[in-house]
Amino acid sequence: MNYIQLEKLGEGTYATVYKGRSRATNEIVALKEIHLDPEEGTPSTAIREISLMKELNHPNILHLYDVIHTENKLVLVFEYCDQDLKRYMDTHGVRGALDPATVRSFMYQLLRGTAYCHDNRVLHRDLKPQNLLINRKGELKIGDFGLARAYGVPVNTYSNEVVTLWYRAPDVLMGSRNYDAAIDIWSCGCIMAEMITGMPLFRGRDNPDQLLAIMKIIGTPEDRVIKKMAQETPDIQFKSYPRFPKVPWPNILPGASAQACDLIDRLLQFDPTSRPHALDALFHPYFTDPTAHHPNSSSVPQPVPVGVMPAPVFHVLPNGQSVYMPQPSNAPGTRAAAPQPYQYAAMNDPSMARHPAYPEQGHHAAFGGQPMHHAPQYAQVPTYGYGQHVHPQSHLQQAQPQQQQQPQHPVYPVAGYPQYPGR
Amino acid sequence: MAIQHPLLYPLASAAQISQTPSRADGVPDWLEEDLRAEGCRLIQSAGILLGTPQVVMATAQVLFQRFWYVTSMREFSILEVAMGALYLASKLEEHIARMRDIINTFDLLLSRLRYTLSHPSMPLDGFQYTPMSYYSDEYYAYKDELIIGEMQLLKRLAFNVQVQLPYNTMVNYLNVLGLGRIEDIAQMAWSFLNDALQTPVYAVYPFPTIACASIHLAARQARVVLPEPPEHEPWWELFDTDFEDIEQVCVWVLRLYSKQDEKEREEVFRLLLGGRKEVKKWLEDNSAKNDVAMEHLNQH
Repeated sequence: MNYIQLEKLGEGTYATVYKGRSRATNEIVALKEIHLDPEEGTPSTAIREISLMKELNHPNILHLYDVIHTENKLVLVFEYCDQDLKRYMDTHGVRGALDPATVRSFMYQLLRGTAYCHDNRVLHRDLKPQNLLINRKGELKIGDFGLARAYGVPVNTYSNEVVTLWYRAPDVLMGSRNYDAAIDIWSCGCIMAEMITGMPLFRGRDNPDQLLAIMKIIGTPEDRVIKKMAQETPDIQFKSYPRFPKVPWPNILPGASAQACDLIDRLLQFDPTSRPHALDALFHPYFTDPTAHHPNSSSVPQPVPVGVMPAPVFHVLPNGQSVYMPQPSNAPGTRAAAPQPYQYAAMNDPSMARHPAYPEQGHHAAFGGQPMHHAPQYAQVPTYGYGQHVHPQSHLQQAQPQQQQQPQHPVYPVAGYPQYPGR
Repeated sequence: MAIQHPLLYPLASAAQISQTPSRADGVPDWLEEDLRAEGCRLIQSAGILLGTPQVVMATAQVLFQRFWYVTSMREFSILEVAMGALYLASKLEEHIARMRDIINTFDLLLSRLRYTLSHPSMPLDGFQYTPMSYYSDEYYAYKDELIIGEMQLLKRLAFNVQVQLPYNTMVNYLNVLGLGRIEDIAQMAWSFLNDALQTPVYAVYPFPTIACASIHLAARQARVVLPEPPEHEPWWELFDTDFEDIEQVCVWVLRLYSKQDEKEREEVFRLLLGGRKEVKKWLEDNSAKNDVAMEHLNQH
């Protein structure tokens, strides 16, 4: 093997993780050893994790360098991170609670990684602090894609035994099987609240109890909302729930800024279609408003060893918005890249403004007053006739008048139709 | 609509298509095509008997087709790869089938095939199936094959096991074309998609092309004229597909419906049952025959 196995880092239900060192480059990696069970073959978690993670390449997603496949075990070689978010909160927080600048930095990175996954049609389905890894530079990396799956047009039904209970969205708790990206957004909201207070937000014992725990805080939704959800997802079991009033967020998150409360409120919407897309959430004033925080006021991650890259910092753009700029990555196997202009471009590029998510130039217009109502992204397939279709390819629109003059009773066979060769 | 996520949708490379590993080993075109199709039918029938959703069977058949672009039929038997693909697909699509159920189903299908081969004139009613005993060696042999099949699929496809099926896309395209309400066309296009699983097209062409091809075939069958040159702008451009590709997919699919030579068919079944050993033997016999023929030619 090209890696030297060092001490054990942890043990899960189906895998053991070791620290390792590459023989070639001396770089430190994490080795996840999965034993192949002769009764079950390769675990499906490993299949998902590898098949999806090997395609994802983003500074906020744990990088999978290599897979070593032998007769009786699989070894996944990951980039090394010092600890997960849970442990980071325990060691760096005040009774688990992190300071606002750190929360903001981690939330930004979490949503950015999530947006990248969703952009590539991958649902993580198990976001929780234990699965978010923090390295010495204060970079947050989403890991453990064992429950992730690729999703397309939402027609397939998926398992609803996903996501650790405390981070599971209410629509999934109610039995939904055709959930989409909004399931991860809910988990992001739970994680944000947990970082602010140091305690998991909703702590249910089981499925129904979890749903009650949610309603006790965000309030029982109106019947109208539940009916709408039941209409959109036929799997949802409709029951009558006790009426709980909505608790104001400042009572639950003492000390959190108004903008933080507002973002959490939007992420934790009962109705999945009301939750914002991860990319939209990145443009929430919580991240973009320069008056709310003074950027760089607090060194974001505490343990920045001397001589290592500085912590992620927020840059103020000429237009007054502050943006998180990723720092060059020193991960083994990659060249130190220049800071990526990912967000920069998105904010200044006029063509991005035409993205349906941003109706006008002002990105936070969407967050101005009313909550955003996103229609499900793929559900709208209107029955276009030839006359009215709206398609980016304008040349077809020019062809419309001709198409309408088609003969009522088509002739068959059409002249010039190629003959299919036989065998 | 170009494929937005090519990374999650691997296709065979041009080199793999122009010469598959089986062909490099001397397996002729027709034989490879028939063995692939039979293997897919085996997966489909097993899936139906197991009661798995169509999406599992479809995924399994696509994985099965992909596999033969990286591996020769001389090295692996159709059966083990078919079983492995079905098991793997059941894991991927979250409807895990029990290993024992898969093995029993394949055993049933193979015994039935053996019966029809040995009793060509008898009806299938006379066929009786006795299941394997719980701890029989036969079962463990099957199980080893299945595990090896699954592992080799993962290894040789380098975990490129994500499959995007064109069914939803096809329905959306029909709606865009205003044909979604015509049930005949929708049903027929859907069936063409099902049948196309027996051909390698899912491993070779992007799914929008396959969706367009099925619409094309269904529209021809139902005698509906879609806007086409020279009078109109071509409809397939709406979906960013190329007509040459559509035609190629159609050729693959229509070839399924041509009548098979009886002798060839029996040969294919024999090779299917015999696995890679039988394929090796067949290759040796045929190369010997070819050598004799060549010598014969040289002498004259």
